[in-house]
Amino acid sequence: MTIRYLKKHAVLEGHVAVEDAETLTQWLLEQREPAVHLGACASVHGAVLQVLLALHPKVKAMPADPHLAAVLGLA
Amino acid sequence: MSQSDLLDQFILEARECLEAIGKRLLDVEQDPANEELLNDLFRSVHTLKGNCGLFEFKPLERVVHAGEDLLDRVRHRTLAYSAELADALLEAMDYSAQLIDQIERHGRIEDGADARSTAHAQALRAFLREDASAGVAAAGAAEAAPRAGAAAPWIDRLDMAAIVSKPGVLALHYLPEPGCFFKGEDPWRLARTVPGLLQLDVVGASAWPQGEDRTGWDCYQCNLDIVLSTDAPRAEVESHFRCVAEQVAWRDEGSDPVAIDVPCENPESPVLLNRVAALWSDQCESLARAGDSTGTVRAARTALTRLLACLGETATPGASAALADLSEGVSASSLLAWARGNAPALEIGRDVVDERMSGPTGRDRDVAAPSQRAEEGSATQAPKVLKVGQEKIDRLMDLIGEMVVAKNSLPYLAQRAEEVFQQRELAREIKAQYAVINRIAEDMQHAIMQVRMLPVGAVFQRFGRLIRDISRKLGKEVNLVVEGEDTEADKNVIEPLADPLIHILRNSLDHGIELPEVRRAAGKPPAGTIRIVARQESDRVIIEIHDDGAGVNAARVRSKAVERGLIPADRAATLSDHDAVQLIFLPGFSTADEVSDLSGRGVGMDVVRTAIERINGGVELSSVQGQGTMLRLSLPLSMAVTTVMVVECAGRRLGVPMDMIVETVRVPACDIHHFKQARTTVLRGRVVSLRALNELLALEAAPKPNEEGELAVLVIRHGNESVGLLVDHFQGASDIILKPLEGVLAGLVGFAGTALMGDGGVLMVLNPKELLQ
Repeated sequence: MTIRYLKKHAVLEGHVAVEDAETLTQWLLEQREPAVHLGACASVHGAVLQVLLALHPKVKAMPADPHLAAVLGLA
Repeated sequence: MSQSDLLDQFILEARECLEAIGKRLLDVEQDPANEELLNDLFRSVHTLKGNCGLFEFKPLERVVHAGEDLLDRVRHRTLAYSAELADALLEAMDYSAQLIDQIERHGRIEDGADARSTAHAQALRAFLREDASAGVAAAGAAEAAPRAGAAAPWIDRLDMAAIVSKPGVLALHYLPEPGCFFKGEDPWRLARTVPGLLQLDVVGASAWPQGEDRTGWDCYQCNLDIVLSTDAPRAEVESHFRCVAEQVAWRDEGSDPVAIDVPCENPESPVLLNRVAALWSDQCESLARAGDSTGTVRAARTALTRLLACLGETATPGASAALADLSEGVSASSLLAWARGNAPALEIGRDVVDERMSGPTGRDRDVAAPSQRAEEGSATQAPKVLKVGQEKIDRLMDLIGEMVVAKNSLPYLAQRAEEVFQQRELAREIKAQYAVINRIAEDMQHAIMQVRMLPVGAVFQRFGRLIRDISRKLGKEVNLVVEGEDTEADKNVIEPLADPLIHILRNSLDHGIELPEVRRAAGKPPAGTIRIVARQESDRVIIEIHDDGAGVNAARVRSKAVERGLIPADRAATLSDHDAVQLIFLPGFSTADEVSDLSGRGVGMDVVRTAIERINGGVELSSVQGQGTMLRLSLPLSMAVTTVMVVECAGRRLGVPMDMIVETVRVPACDIHHFKQARTTVLRGRVVSLRALNELLALEAAPKPNEEGELAVLVIRHGNESVGLLVDHFQGASDIILKPLEGVLAGLVGFAGTALMGDGGVLMVLNPKELLQ
């Protein structure tokens, strides 16, 4: 499991693969104030990136990858 | 390799390239979407251009370079392939062939060529400009991706200042297709891992869903729109995006003076060199890892090609041509060996050092480098194919011929040893040795024949072009189907075929295949088909040319033949339809009422027949009116060894080619009927006219009958009839190597040539056809 769904936010860890995009979408849509923790996220699949871009949850911790951070509008 | 050897090699290879280009152009026209063909075509043009760079053939290079640019655009789908484009390219290639001819004749290009080559190059470049102004988007490209120029809106998402300030920075727009996730692609990862990535920006290709729409949103429909900039060479980035090349739009480098595809202005720039060296070794590593994965090999090969292109032709002339020469299915290990052996880093390093040391004379070094590098290249890869001049093979052939004749004298020697010197033992040994030498000589002869064998496809190659040109001119639609082009025959048989076959095809196109509307009215498909089928039948090669056109009108042939006074009217009437259509082979026959520039001058089919008969072949025509015509050429496999019948006539030995002989008979003198000067006899119920060979050769002796009073008659085929030649004795068949008459004897009619017999005597070989006329 590369996504841990906590009470207030989801923690994305390591490489988040394409299969996780759907559950992440569902989970983000269910939340009133969706938030993700990307501090431990090394890389995401394009589909996951698309989910993050489309649903723009609040980002609790910046990803290490500067390009990923820039694309998510965090840099 | 001396300069002139190099030039010879260049001419040879340039011809091959041009031939390949011509063929590929036609193939591509048939199947414009075929990447493989386009790449192959581009490679040929590129090789040719690279080779031109070795010499100072500016006019040639200019034309080829323009062609290369044009094809590059076609290959990258930024320019549509059209018939007009093909016309321009074909014309340019014809002109290039003329230039090559000039180079071969004089070793240089004639002075007037500059203007014409510029005109050709401009004609080609016009397509590039037209395209740029019209902004034609390539087929299959993502509709949303604007292609033209720096004005593309996606560029604005990048920091333009950073792109323009640094030379060699590439910007590209990657618009993955919506279903890409289902193909296992990860566009983000692909973009993220671009070599030399500088900036990266991702937005939604269409707006992201808002409010209620979000519940039904499909997160697996890719909606990403990626722009990025990189300072890696274009070749490397292209190879990175090779799987989705059609989804990537590049910043138009036409507006960019330092575009990477154009040979770099300053190939000695240390930054570029280092970069190239690093990439080169990267490719070597990936090849070493690759095992035998063809994809990697192809990618690495592309990358290497681009690296060389990036260095510019002048810096690496031999290398890119050599790389393009490596076969398509080259294995990872051999490409790796090549790449290591030709690593430009070492070469360049040395060049730079040399230049620094030798100062102003550094230019000379550049001139010397190419040939040196070419030699290094060939040293690392063992040559598998030898290119040998034809005259060397012919010389070998002659020597083996002499060998065969020389060994034939051994049986005579054995006979002498036994009869004259009473050395029976010695005679037996000589015979045993003879058997060994005989076997080796036959093997040698067989081997050299194999070397001289050419596939008949060699002459078929140019037909595609011919048919295309003529059918366009005549407004007809014609498909050419070639079967059995691998069938092999001796070079001397194959090469003289080209002209007769062209005649035949022209005739088929002009008289055979009807106009599309006529064909439709006759219930045939509008496009006619010409089929060329080659196959081997025992020791003959059969070539059949079928067309599904109108066929030959036998009645019209009869009346035309009579009208032109070729045969008497009463005889014409008695001919069967099949025999009547053969009349078109008569000299001076033409059914066309007016002379076109294609045919109708009455020098058509008899020329074909003469040419085919010269190589001991035969030609036959069969035709069904309204359904088509079939011409059947039957050719010998080889002309090197001829079987002749040796006959004796007034004490002289003479040879008659075996393929003309129908039979040998002995006719009792009483069965020969005399009518004035003419003699005839009846053989199996047919009247055969008899001619004494002595008379034909102006020998003052009557044919000698044998003890039983019978005369030896050699029945030979003469046109459609049989003619009997009266000779003194038959001596049996013999394999000989026929040498044509030379020097003062060349004008002698009635003889096909001479041959050396085993006992050292010279055999004159008759040409009965000429003799009987």
